[in-house]
Amino acid sequence: MLHSVAFIVMCILAIAIALCLFRMVKGPSMFDRIVALDLLGITLIGFVGMLMIVQQTLVYVEVILVLGILSFVGTVALSKYMEGGVVIERDRD
Amino acid sequence: MSEIVISIFLLIGAIFMLLGAIAIIRLPDAYTRINAATKASTFGVIGTMIGLFLYFSYAHDVISGKVLLTIVFVFITAPVGGFMMARSAYHAGVRIWDKSVRDDLKEDLKQKINKPEH
Amino acid sequence: MPIQILLNLSIAIIWMLLSSHFSFSTFLVGYVIGLALLYLFKSFLKFDLYFTKIIAFVKLILVFIKEMIIANLNVAKIVLSPKLKAKPGIVAYPTELNSALQVTLLSSLITLTPGTLVMAFSDDRKTLYVHTIDIDSKEKVIESIKTTFEKGILEVTD
Repeated sequence: MLHSVAFIVMCILAIAIALCLFRMVKGPSMFDRIVALDLLGITLIGFVGMLMIVQQTLVYVEVILVLGILSFVGTVALSKYMEGGVVIERDRD
Repeated sequence: MSEIVISIFLLIGAIFMLLGAIAIIRLPDAYTRINAATKASTFGVIGTMIGLFLYFSYAHDVISGKVLLTIVFVFITAPVGGFMMARSAYHAGVRIWDKSVRDDLKEDLKQKINKPEH
Repeated sequence: MPIQILLNLSIAIIWMLLSSHFSFSTFLVGYVIGLALLYLFKSFLKFDLYFTKIIAFVKLILVFIKEMIIANLNVAKIVLSPKLKAKPGIVAYPTELNSALQVTLLSSLITLTPGTLVMAFSDDRKTLYVHTIDIDSKEKVIESIKTTFEKGILEVTD
């Protein structure tokens, strides 16, 4: 039973990823694209989790952690870059 | 019984993630999208990861601390990410939606610009 | 307060050595015994029992979880309603907290409850600019944050 639930959840998450991609392509400003990218990373975490249930394995846990870290760092770096053109400011007061 | 509980957690998580995606499509401007998407996704991660944790402790007798660590990690990083996106968007000059009812930040920024530097 | 935690930890370790069974469960039993001892001798301690802070922290977390569920359902209602009736806006929220840790905690909690998002700080850390997805009145937003989170944070850290 849990397998079918996992498949249903994967279908829902696939729809969510498709919607995120739509916003990424369309988004009027760059920040809409960054939000969509952030949400896509989070949704991928859930997707890989469902994959763990379907394949009955725990080895993807590290993948989940790395995806979380990458999505956070990517979001922060992109938004800092879009704000001022630099990621790390040299002259902080 | 425990299968039903696990499925409920997984489905709640998935539905809230889908809600975040719908919010990104439907809401009118960048700030409201950031606002809704950050939290709906956090709630979704909580749901799916608790479901995953319960599943592995129920079906495989494995207590996986890393899965719970993911929740903590997302909890710490999601507000910072949302804050960075909203702040950068405001400083980069992304317009707030026309039908917004108030904008205190704009007034205060204007005051600060007009004030001479001591 | 640190001396109490140290005392408690050493009681736990002594218990673990006495029972000559090194595992997390014996450590936990020793910790609980240490807490009970500290409670018995609380009139000799100069500071309040640190456990009250932990209870306040747990209470803050429970309030936070409740707020989070309620507000998530609210946002779900706004997003799924056929016509968008939301009135978004940015509210300046004056805070009484002053240390950097408290303000960070407050802004994280505000951001994680849906419908509100901290956008910017003023330079003196006294004003947070909160983007809210549905405003009735400015006073109501400020009031709700003040009664739920700021009070709890003041109880935990000060």
